[in-house]
Amino acid sequence: MNLILLGMNHKTAPLDIRERLSISCEEGIRSLRELMHIPGIEGMIYLSTCNRVEVLAQTTDTQEAAEQLKSFIFGHGNLSREEMNRCLYMYRDDEAVRHLFRVTSSLDSLVMGEPQILGQVKDAYRQAVENQTTGIILNKILHHAFRVAKRVRTETGIAANAVSVSFAAVELAKKIFGGLKGKTVLLIGAGEMSELAARHLISQGIDQILIANRTYARAMQMAEEFHGTAVAFDHLEETLRNVDIVISSTGAPGYVITAGMVSTALHRRKNRFLFLIDIAVPRDIDPAAGDIDNVFLYNIDNLQDIVDGNIKNRGQEAEKAEAIIEEEVMKYTRWHNTLEVVPTIVSLKGKAEGIVRGELEKSFSWMQNMTSEERKNIEILVGSIMNKILHDPIISLKEESQDYGVMAYVAALRRLFKLEE
Amino acid sequence: MGLLFFKLALAAYLISTLGYVVSLLIRRVLVAKVSTGILLVAFLLHTISLISRFIASGSLPIMGIHDTLSLFAWILCGIYLILQLKTKTRVLGAFISPVAFLLMIVASVGLEGSVSLPDILKGGLVTAHITLSVAGEALFALASCAGAMYLIQDRLIKYKTIGSFSRLLPSLKDLDKINHICLLWGFPLLTLGVLAGSIWARTVWGSHWQWDPKQIWTLTAWLLYALLLHQRLAIGWKGHRVALFSLLAFILLLIGFIVEKLFFTTVHNFL
Repeated sequence: MNLILLGMNHKTAPLDIRERLSISCEEGIRSLRELMHIPGIEGMIYLSTCNRVEVLAQTTDTQEAAEQLKSFIFGHGNLSREEMNRCLYMYRDDEAVRHLFRVTSSLDSLVMGEPQILGQVKDAYRQAVENQTTGIILNKILHHAFRVAKRVRTETGIAANAVSVSFAAVELAKKIFGGLKGKTVLLIGAGEMSELAARHLISQGIDQILIANRTYARAMQMAEEFHGTAVAFDHLEETLRNVDIVISSTGAPGYVITAGMVSTALHRRKNRFLFLIDIAVPRDIDPAAGDIDNVFLYNIDNLQDIVDGNIKNRGQEAEKAEAIIEEEVMKYTRWHNTLEVVPTIVSLKGKAEGIVRGELEKSFSWMQNMTSEERKNIEILVGSIMNKILHDPIISLKEESQDYGVMAYVAALRRLFKLEE
Repeated sequence: MGLLFFKLALAAYLISTLGYVVSLLIRRVLVAKVSTGILLVAFLLHTISLISRFIASGSLPIMGIHDTLSLFAWILCGIYLILQLKTKTRVLGAFISPVAFLLMIVASVGLEGSVSLPDILKGGLVTAHITLSVAGEALFALASCAGAMYLIQDRLIKYKTIGSFSRLLPSLKDLDKINHICLLWGFPLLTLGVLAGSIWARTVWGSHWQWDPKQIWTLTAWLLYALLLHQRLAIGWKGHRVALFSLLAFILLLIGFIVEKLFFTTVHNFL
């Protein structure tokens, strides 16, 4: 196949090395172009995220290209030989395809099943296409990878389970509200966790975000950051009437939201659902609020429990996903093998002969009066026409087979004559 | 002909029910999708059986307990299949198809014998009365199914036992919406059905009201649903309380139906 995949990820390389490599390669387009100048490289895709750096290349000579690529990375990534050998992994041919499929399907991610990686691979592919660094093979592999990712997502539960606290919060909100479009979220207090949760909610289509903080200036500052609105901290009770989701994480010693406040607010809001997320320690929201009808109260431990359960579940789903990957790698390999010149010539001839045979049989039924000798002559005539027509394409194909560009011819031929499978 | 399709429909309802059970056990959406397809087939077979019975007898097949139950199951499935198009509530089918199957089993018991009806039970008003009432009650049945599912999902979320089962159930919002839609449509249908019945009763017996056990019971149910709808629309009841109320109201309706069948003689004996 002459495929080679070089890379490092969160498992093999510490953050600072990934950073160094990623930043130096971050010049993106320029380095992509430069990489293409490496002798022996036919096409390539370069993927860089905060958890991985990967280069998938189609080469004419795997051995040489691998060395060249390594020294390129060595030179540009400010890595020592020792670091590089420790952190870099290399896959060839079907192993490279398998690795790409696993990455795209989010099986290789830090948080297994997270959805972003598919988008990142798509971006990397788009960039490669814009720079014309992909050919027929890489295009096929990438499209296949996207299909595999979709299959893994729909056929296994791997992406269904939230494995971070903020994802768990989003999942719960969807279980309650259906979708999050048009909903309003209230952030009380600041904190990394609550901001992360808020960001996730916003990315899911939350409409409006309100921010309350003991120091109003801080609330204003955060409101600007989130494109939200700051609300007064002493008016929480009124605010509760108009929001759907509350994320609270103040450092207050007592309850910021009491059950009485929730109860009154709920009455005023005509019992519309209210989802309260309390990620503060000590708690901000009176646990009794969770007993009120149509109010759903979760604290940090509850969310963590969901996450733990999901992680356990995910292991089983991962096995199913691996089986899908194996199956798809095999499918790809089968397709790839059809690109060899000889099987293509055989199937082209086979197809032509099939057509000739079928047409002759049809025609002989109305050529009843002919002698068998005449029929023989017709068969010879038709056969030689067929051979003349096929002669040039087959010869050119054989000539091209010395060259690496032959794949494009083979693929085109297979498509024009519908020789697929 | 009608009987053959009825039996085929019965079998299809059974397969669909089993499919839904399997989908709940192994938690795969694909199986549930197939089950929905089978339910659609069952519904179509059922439709054919109803049509051929109509052609054979010349009147709508809605008289007698068996026909009424079969009609009930048919309307229930029809409404569910329409809802399925509009909302993401496939799992509701897992609640609907066993109900339809059981109704069909009961309906199939005495199906072969044709019911001889007295002349006074023939006429457009009776047909309207039965069809509208049964449709209204089928909608209430669906509201109570959605209510039951709501209570399960609500409990799972409240008690923090989110698992793959909860993931299969629709969101609270969707379930509440189904409940709402079913009440909103079921109530006027039942109202019209009751009105049609009472007008017809006046023409036959000279009075709108006969103190018939079924009449009393239906009026009670009607009042309950009127109250529920009022609370929902005017007071703003939502979610948990409505789900519980509509489930209880329907159970009450069912108990009334069974008690009246077993212990009373009524002018509704034919239904």
